[in-house]
Amino acid sequence: MKGLSEPIKRYDFDEKVEGRARYCADVYLEGMLYARTLRSDRPRAKILGITVPPLPEGYFIIDKDDIPGKNSVPIVYDDEPLLAREVVNYVGEPILLVVGPDKQTILNILAAVKVDYEEMDPILTIEDALNCRENFIFQDRPHFVEYQYTKGDISGAIARASCCVEDSFQTGYQEHVALETQSVLAFFEEGRITVSGSMQCPYYLKDALVQALNWSEDRVRVVQLPTGGGFGSKEDYPSIVGVHAALAAVKSGRPVQLVLERGEDIRCTTKRHPSQVHIKSYLDHENQIIARDVEVLIDAGAYAGLSSVVLQRLIFSVCGVYRVENLRVHGRAMATNNVVCGAFRGFGGPQAFFAIEMHMENIAQKIGVDSLELKKDYFLRRGDTSSTGGLFQFEIVLPQIIEQIEEISGYSQKRKEFSGGLGWRGIGCSVFFHGCGFTGKGEKDILKTRVRLVKRSASEIEIRVANTEIGQGAATTLRKIVARALEIPVEHVAYIYPDTDVCPDSGPTIASRTIMIIGKLLYDCALEMKEKWREESLEVARGYTYPDNLSWDNARFIGNAYAEYSWGANVVEVEVDPLTLEINVLGVWAVYDIGTPIDERIVKGQIDGGLVQGLGYAGMELLQARQGRLQQENLANYIIPTFLDFPPIVSRLVENPYENGPFGARGLGEITLVGAAPALALAVQNAVGKPIIQLPVSPEYLMELMCDE
Amino acid sequence: MNRVQFVLNGSEVNLQVHPLKRLIDVLRDDLHITGAKEGCGEGECGACAVLVDGRLVNACLVPVGSICGHNVVTIEGFRQSSRFAILKDSFEQAGSVQCGFCTPAMILAAEALLSHNSHPSEEQIRQAMAGNLCRCTGYTMIVEAVQLASRKGEGLW
Amino acid sequence: MVRTHRPDSLKEALSIRGMEKVTVLAGGTDLMVRNRSWSGTLPIFERDVLFIGHLEELKKIREEGEFIILGASCTLAQIMRDGRVPEYVKLPLVQMASPAIRNVATIGGNICNASPAGDTLPMLYALNASLQLNSGKGSRTVNIQDFITGPGGTGLQDDEILTEIYIPTACFSHQYYKKAGLRKANAISKVSFYAVASSSHNCIDEVRIALGAVAPTPVRSLEGEALLAGLEIEALPERFHDVKSCYEQLLNPIDDVRSTKKYRHKAALLILEDFLLKGLRSHA
Repeated sequence: MKGLSEPIKRYDFDEKVEGRARYCADVYLEGMLYARTLRSDRPRAKILGITVPPLPEGYFIIDKDDIPGKNSVPIVYDDEPLLAREVVNYVGEPILLVVGPDKQTILNILAAVKVDYEEMDPILTIEDALNCRENFIFQDRPHFVEYQYTKGDISGAIARASCCVEDSFQTGYQEHVALETQSVLAFFEEGRITVSGSMQCPYYLKDALVQALNWSEDRVRVVQLPTGGGFGSKEDYPSIVGVHAALAAVKSGRPVQLVLERGEDIRCTTKRHPSQVHIKSYLDHENQIIARDVEVLIDAGAYAGLSSVVLQRLIFSVCGVYRVENLRVHGRAMATNNVVCGAFRGFGGPQAFFAIEMHMENIAQKIGVDSLELKKDYFLRRGDTSSTGGLFQFEIVLPQIIEQIEEISGYSQKRKEFSGGLGWRGIGCSVFFHGCGFTGKGEKDILKTRVRLVKRSASEIEIRVANTEIGQGAATTLRKIVARALEIPVEHVAYIYPDTDVCPDSGPTIASRTIMIIGKLLYDCALEMKEKWREESLEVARGYTYPDNLSWDNARFIGNAYAEYSWGANVVEVEVDPLTLEINVLGVWAVYDIGTPIDERIVKGQIDGGLVQGLGYAGMELLQARQGRLQQENLANYIIPTFLDFPPIVSRLVENPYENGPFGARGLGEITLVGAAPALALAVQNAVGKPIIQLPVSPEYLMELMCDE
Repeated sequence: MNRVQFVLNGSEVNLQVHPLKRLIDVLRDDLHITGAKEGCGEGECGACAVLVDGRLVNACLVPVGSICGHNVVTIEGFRQSSRFAILKDSFEQAGSVQCGFCTPAMILAAEALLSHNSHPSEEQIRQAMAGNLCRCTGYTMIVEAVQLASRKGEGLW
Repeated sequence: MVRTHRPDSLKEALSIRGMEKVTVLAGGTDLMVRNRSWSGTLPIFERDVLFIGHLEELKKIREEGEFIILGASCTLAQIMRDGRVPEYVKLPLVQMASPAIRNVATIGGNICNASPAGDTLPMLYALNASLQLNSGKGSRTVNIQDFITGPGGTGLQDDEILTEIYIPTACFSHQYYKKAGLRKANAISKVSFYAVASSSHNCIDEVRIALGAVAPTPVRSLEGEALLAGLEIEALPERFHDVKSCYEQLLNPIDDVRSTKKYRHKAALLILEDFLLKGLRSHA
């Protein structure tokens, strides 16, 4: 949209570039204490006893007995303790904290704390969990959740199929590596606790504090500070560290800073779920895909956390952008004594699209057709129904997306050139979507989303939302939406880092919902405000209403799994070093329909950043658990992309405004990551002529493939 | 404890401090200069990078005793300069900043490069900044900013 | 709490080294990581620390006869910038660590760490580098191969300091370096391969090859090199099998968090093959 999409200077730019932005660890308060966590070094054990040395004056221990309220993280199943109860279930589970003024003394105290464990048999893999018959981690079963949905007549279709293409895929962990580690600061004053720090979801933390302290809401305040990256890592984990710091502040009466170190952050915070996806596609005698049967397993780790919702998104996405009338999808989130997995940009999408895109390639190879041509035959169109039977009510511009990506990448031409003989060059194309906002009716049923717009004067409009600026540009894009709707200069609109004392609960900053959902509610507020503009000062508030044109049955998973989707295609071109089997990425092209871009430069930043994070996931970021311990626990061994690893990305947008988004905007943050891995893996498969069935596509994995003749 | 003396952002610093204390801790804890961030503490991320005698150095790997008498520049000092003004402008135009945690060190890495090579190629920029991790931008928009600064700052470097 | 020494001269440094057991710290880029503690607390050193990174006597690069001589406290960046240092010495340095680390890390430090993945070591092995070790009592010279004894192990005595690295210079017709790292920059080696050769009239006069990260110490096969010396380039393919088996015997890689035994083994041999059958043929 002319004018609106033109980039403006980010509102957080000056303080960040000048080094003036005060991140949590930059704040020093008079009399502040430091905290450090004693964590389980066993994957599964009973705690028989803990011996604590005599503490010097001014030092404190915080453990489960210091929690006056409920000792659990309030998310979905509330099964994860804030501090270990009788049993520890993963290496890195917090047991207690030592708090005091001098860090070296804290280390000395920690070294003298002795935990007496009684080892239990750990469940270390998905296979262990599947074989588990007793001594479950969670309730009376080996998984946290098990879901199934069907569409059409799967058994009838299988009965008339003439062949079946079957594949199994595996993906590994991914660590977010937000450059700023988990960091919080708590202080207790006049009977109120304030926790500030690095976070995506201030009200998740507030809810956790209210529940753990068993205090009334008015005694609890959460304030976001400049946040050095999120990517999902700061969705629910700040609830744990935030409560820890708060307990320490209450007990000591002093401000308490809790900043995780990098190794600790890698070891203990949530990860992207490892997955196993088994897909069977049934073809009739004319090679038409008539049915698809998918089995999904994810390693959720020791506590349920967000795994149920991640699994939902994975299973709703795993049939890809393709129209197949008969489906059965079954998925389980297995409980293991590994690190807890949770939210990570894409939220199940990357695993799903890796599996389905590789699988479509394999079907095409099997029936001897070009894979992109095969995909095009099955592209979803307006009027089709989704895997869960939800009607696609709006235009789906996949043909235009493909046309654009062909134009910029020369995909089909290159594909022909590379596909003969082992030239060590290859190209791959992935096509994908991302459902924007919460799954199903979550926006309505789980959240109590409320946004507020305040007019102090004609030139002082204040946005009051709990949605955070975590680098993605929300502080700028939300202002632009409001200013444009009010037709006033953007400088007249203010946004502050969320403070629960003044900002209503507009829900978490996740699920590509900030622009499409929150931006739209603010837009609606602005229109209302504009009508009443003559009033000197006023306040307008909005809550989310579930659109009439959608429906969702959460028991049977039938209907619109998402209100709307963003769409995209990625092309990656590679050469593989014939000696070291290292992958050299020669080109990356991307086209998306994210509706109207609210700020083209911010959009480009999301595209570049999401893709590089996705390419890291695809080819570099190996993270393995052995005996419940993560092996690559520092940044020398857990490697993320540097300046040199990937070439500049060429990207375009196909503008297809969404009528229920602000000025036509759809979600953006996550879709930029989900297509990268299949595009890279397809390119490598094209280059080496062997099926790629796992991520990351490491040189070691390729060596196994190439040498196992 | 020993006396350690060095020049920080143009002013002499004279501190009673253990010479093995990391420069990053001296800056952040003793002097409350917080532009250098700790992202890993192992020299892998570069978020703590500062300039020592004009060259990029990870402050988390340097015991303060080994920089006695040297000239240390952090973002707090560098932001006073006209070179910074050009870099700032270029970072803004190119959209090089997202979460901002890596940014002060990125600026200093760009300065370290440009002060020794005022017209670097794209490859030289990527090589020179390869020790500074950014998880938000995918890097290209930072490369573009350095190219832009190199053009706009003609004669400054 | 450990003490630190910041001597004004090498002589003073050697005298401190002679009197007490100290940890020698030049750049510190490895020691500060290995000994790191919680941020804001002191790194944990078991012994008192002797700073030598600032000693001008150890930061000189000079030419002497057939040698290029590098002071042990020369940083990697300083060596890379120096016009007198031959390109084949710089070959592995440009791929080491990151610019900020190369500005601080020293060549002496990389040698004394004796990491199996230490990236200067295969180069120094292949170039027949020797090390000057000084103590208050005098000095001795030792070949790099004899100095490195195992992962982290060297022949450095408690009273000694590595002062200079002597690298014999020569006119090589081929220089070849291949590193498989964890990524393209700032990466620890999974396998590295360094070779120089001289040939004339389609005949190989001399080849020297050293591999890193495939055994507890860098690997060099004099037997393999002898099989190659004097060989017609055309005869390389038929000799390859014998040469390869010389190296195969010496490879003893491990599985670790960065790579696998199998990968290291296979990649090392593929690179060897590439060098002998392709690298040596080109621009000979």
